[in-house]
Amino acid sequence: MASLPLVLASDANAAVWRADELAHAPAAVLATGHAALDAQLPGGGWPIGALVEILQAHSGQNEWRLLLPALARARAGPVLLVGPPHMPFVPGLAAQGLACERLLWITAATPASRMWASEQALRCADVAAVLAWLPQARADQLRRLQMAASEHAKLLFVMRPAAAQAESSPAVLRVLVAIQAGSDALRLELLKRRGPPCTQALLMPARMGRLSALLARNQGRAGYAPRPLGNLSDSAAPVEATHHALDSLAGAA
Amino acid sequence: MHWIALQALPDAVVAGDAPDSAPEPFGSAAPAPADATAALGWWALQFTPRVAQVGPAVLLEVSASERLYGGREHMLACVMAPERPVAHVQHAQAATSLVALALLQTGMPPGVVEPDRLPLATLAQAKAHLPTLERIGCRVWGDLRALPRGGVARRFGAPLLDALDQAYGLKPEVYPWLLLPEVFDMPLELSAQVEAAPALLFAARRLLGQLQAWLRARRQGILALELGWQMDARRNTASHGQLLLRTAEPTLDMQHLQRLLGEHLGRITLPAPVLTLRMRSIETAPLPSASTSLLPDELHAGDSLHQLLERLAARLGPEQVLRALPRADHRPEHMQTWRAASAVRAPGNATAGGNTRRPRGTAAGTTPAWAEFYPTWLLATPLRLAVRQDRPLYQGPLTLLVGPQRLEAGWWGKGGPDGHADVALRDYFLARSEQAGLLWIYRERLLASQAADAQQVVGHWYLHGLYG
Repeated sequence: MASLPLVLASDANAAVWRADELAHAPAAVLATGHAALDAQLPGGGWPIGALVEILQAHSGQNEWRLLLPALARARAGPVLLVGPPHMPFVPGLAAQGLACERLLWITAATPASRMWASEQALRCADVAAVLAWLPQARADQLRRLQMAASEHAKLLFVMRPAAAQAESSPAVLRVLVAIQAGSDALRLELLKRRGPPCTQALLMPARMGRLSALLARNQGRAGYAPRPLGNLSDSAAPVEATHHALDSLAGAA
Repeated sequence: MHWIALQALPDAVVAGDAPDSAPEPFGSAAPAPADATAALGWWALQFTPRVAQVGPAVLLEVSASERLYGGREHMLACVMAPERPVAHVQHAQAATSLVALALLQTGMPPGVVEPDRLPLATLAQAKAHLPTLERIGCRVWGDLRALPRGGVARRFGAPLLDALDQAYGLKPEVYPWLLLPEVFDMPLELSAQVEAAPALLFAARRLLGQLQAWLRARRQGILALELGWQMDARRNTASHGQLLLRTAEPTLDMQHLQRLLGEHLGRITLPAPVLTLRMRSIETAPLPSASTSLLPDELHAGDSLHQLLERLAARLGPEQVLRALPRADHRPEHMQTWRAASAVRAPGNATAGGNTRRPRGTAAGTTPAWAEFYPTWLLATPLRLAVRQDRPLYQGPLTLLVGPQRLEAGWWGKGGPDGHADVALRDYFLARSEQAGLLWIYRERLLASQAADAQQVVGHWYLHGLYG
């Protein structure tokens, strides 16, 4: 009998969440693909079945490089884009792991129809993730989405303008994304998470994979002005022009 | 011979009698069928091929299939199990159909009442002679049977005597057996004129309930159906209207059809009040039998993808629900086409069907190496950039990082009226903007015929993609 209180105490310890540590992940998470970000997120990844809010000044600017590594690794199933600001470029996305067949583009224009389409998509069993661009969503509408996402255990990312950070939000995780001045690196601020407030911003490498290698190789040439090309009206012009371009490249390197 | 007689009870009667003992047929919100007796008959065909519809009752002759169901009691339990199209059903059983019908009408429990003591009012053929029979003291079947046969035949006609013989099993009973129609086609007269199209959904639900009973009996799923309505001819407008509803996969899910119907009806304005509805099945297909899993993990709740896409397309319009088709082309704007998802076959079917439009580079698993340098967003129409001091501007001056990558394509196309519309002569650059991040821009190169003078061969700068 003497050991019983001890057992209870250890159970209780496990069940108590201390405000200065990250919350235990009760639900599944999906690794973000960025180690520095994983370390700061409860459970070590994007929460599945919860609303994640991504705030940035210009929509369409940073979400793909933040989300693509995770989406490529998410369970197979369609990814619904509700009201994206531009046309998704399939070859570029496929090269980073999001296959063409998985993409579905809902071009709903009005805020109400975007909200409705997002909620319907969350209720579909086959859908793997929903990416919704909702610049004008109200907190109660977001709450509906959060409920639907948690009920059906879906990945849900809502892209909103940076100005929305002052509004209250039912999101489990709010990330403010900006471009670091002077470079192309991402600067993340976790405005809200289940855990202690994250005071310092996270810096993430600008680009992934071969693109970053290409950019690094051309680092020294940044700022060169394109040389005016020669007269192309004669038939040999394209070949010659290519030589010009290569020459300038070699000269700069 | 063993007969089971079934009769659907109107919902109003049941609600007044026993509000608690209401079994839910086909899940919670299944609509009641338009013609309950016919639906009950179609459903009863699963137990025996010998089903007949007599007035408001349905008769089942089950002696041949009793053994399959494990005995008479067990069979009756199967028949009375709650999975049927009509929620509230009264039943009776007896050795002959007329006794079963009579028991059904008296509502007395079977076995308690001998046929001799059944009231004559329960015999259909005796109904015309009831006052006369009453006056000569015949109240029950036994009284009539005790009378001399010759006199009864002369006074009341042979049919009454025949019916009595059939009721006692002395003569065979023959019915026109119920056949399942090949095509579902059912009219429904509305109890009141309907002015607004969305209100038609309420009546259409009952037709859907009927359709479900028919589909279940045929073991089919619906692919296309037509809802037609007839309008008041006194208005000088069109007298008919119809709505064609299609689904991508054969379905038995009336909830889904009901939501689709609701979306479509919501966009229709009726020129005149509607008097009757009519539902017709256009196309059906055998239902693929899904194997059920023992593991609870694999059961995930929710609609399937095609249901979602159909619902989205029904409300937003098919042109707003898009799926990408990859294409083999070097021009970025031609590398993909976004088509209505309803027009593009699902990816699972596309591979099975041998879709040959897939370009070589984008086959599953192998993306070309240079595709990693592509942006993630593409502008539908390239945005022309202003130039200051030979540097393109987009939210401030741009810094060119990588390039040029030359593209010369499209010369084989017919193009537009000027003959050059599809030709792409471009130098692509990766550029960086302090505000907008990494951009994909190109500088146009002009054809000799397009250039204003021989010296000007370099065209404008355009923004074509964004690295989001």
